[in-house]
Amino acid sequence: MAAIVAFILFGLGILVLVLRRDLVIKLLALGLVNAASILFLVSIGDRPGARAPIQGPGEMGILADPLPQALVLSAIVVNFAILALALVFVMILVERYHSTDSTRIEQEMAREIDEEETPCL
Amino acid sequence: MNKLRIRTVLAVGIISAFVVLVALAFASDQPVPADSQQYLARALGETGASNRVAGIYLNYRLLDTLLELLVFSVAVLGVRHYLQQSEGMSLPALSESEVLQTAVSFLSPLALLLCAFFAIFGHISPGGGFAAGVIAASGLLYVAIAHGMKATETRLNPWRLALAEKAILLLLLAFVLVPAAFGKIPLSDLLPKGTPGQLLSGGSILIYNILIAMKVFIGAWLVIAAFAQHRGEL
Repeated sequence: MAAIVAFILFGLGILVLVLRRDLVIKLLALGLVNAASILFLVSIGDRPGARAPIQGPGEMGILADPLPQALVLSAIVVNFAILALALVFVMILVERYHSTDSTRIEQEMAREIDEEETPCL
Repeated sequence: MNKLRIRTVLAVGIISAFVVLVALAFASDQPVPADSQQYLARALGETGASNRVAGIYLNYRLLDTLLELLVFSVAVLGVRHYLQQSEGMSLPALSESEVLQTAVSFLSPLALLLCAFFAIFGHISPGGGFAAGVIAASGLLYVAIAHGMKATETRLNPWRLALAEKAILLLLLAFVLVPAAFGKIPLSDLLPKGTPGQLLSGGSILIYNILIAMKVFIGAWLVIAAFAQHRGEL
């Protein structure tokens, strides 16, 4: 069930990432894609009746697979790093072009390049 | 020693330690469990940590965790560098109510206490260095929201904190390279495993958790502080 939810969230995140033009919304969608990936990884480590993988010697019971959980930790830290840096770049773009619209920013950048390449008469 | 020289020494030290570590780690033939079921079967005896996840990421896959910390450090460096270059705003600080300030004086020590608990008991219960660091940074964020960024920064100098963050990473790298001096594989654990379930168990995992908690706390706080400074105030 959790894996299905993860796939739905992943698809939703990708759709928003592609279709919406607002850079901040795109970053939020990227966060959603990452959260969906984390949910999927944790869900594949689950087993029926499993507990969290914390168990001392002599204790009995089925434990969830600890390996995906250990990998997820890396995914969370890398996601934090990517989002923080991407947010800084979005802030720099917004300060320069006064818009969060990716198409408008691209047009402005293309216009600037054209102006630089056109020789002054 | 001037600021630039300290930074250069730290940067050269961190890069050199990583190069030596990766070279020695690839040269070694330390056996690692082939599949995740073996982790469940062997992790408790081999790592001494009741928390299997901590046993994996701070013992079997410690190199991954160190590189992950490097990614985190680079992100902190990048955020601070680019935000210092951009113009920024100078929005005035919003005055906070007395209710919030009183609540924060209760909540922030609790956050720091929870951070210490998660870092110290991370190998025998849920938690660990990463979660602990983020909790402590959140506690400091409460203080900054209630009392203002400037008041918080007068007590915590960002330059010194950035230096401490890099120094902790270097210390961590030096610590994992110590076994090489004794003719052992780097990243191998020299400390006794102890009795699983006890506080002093899991070999070096307790030390790693405390160092990682400090590093993540400082790093997360520096990112928050850089964004807040760019805006002007919180």
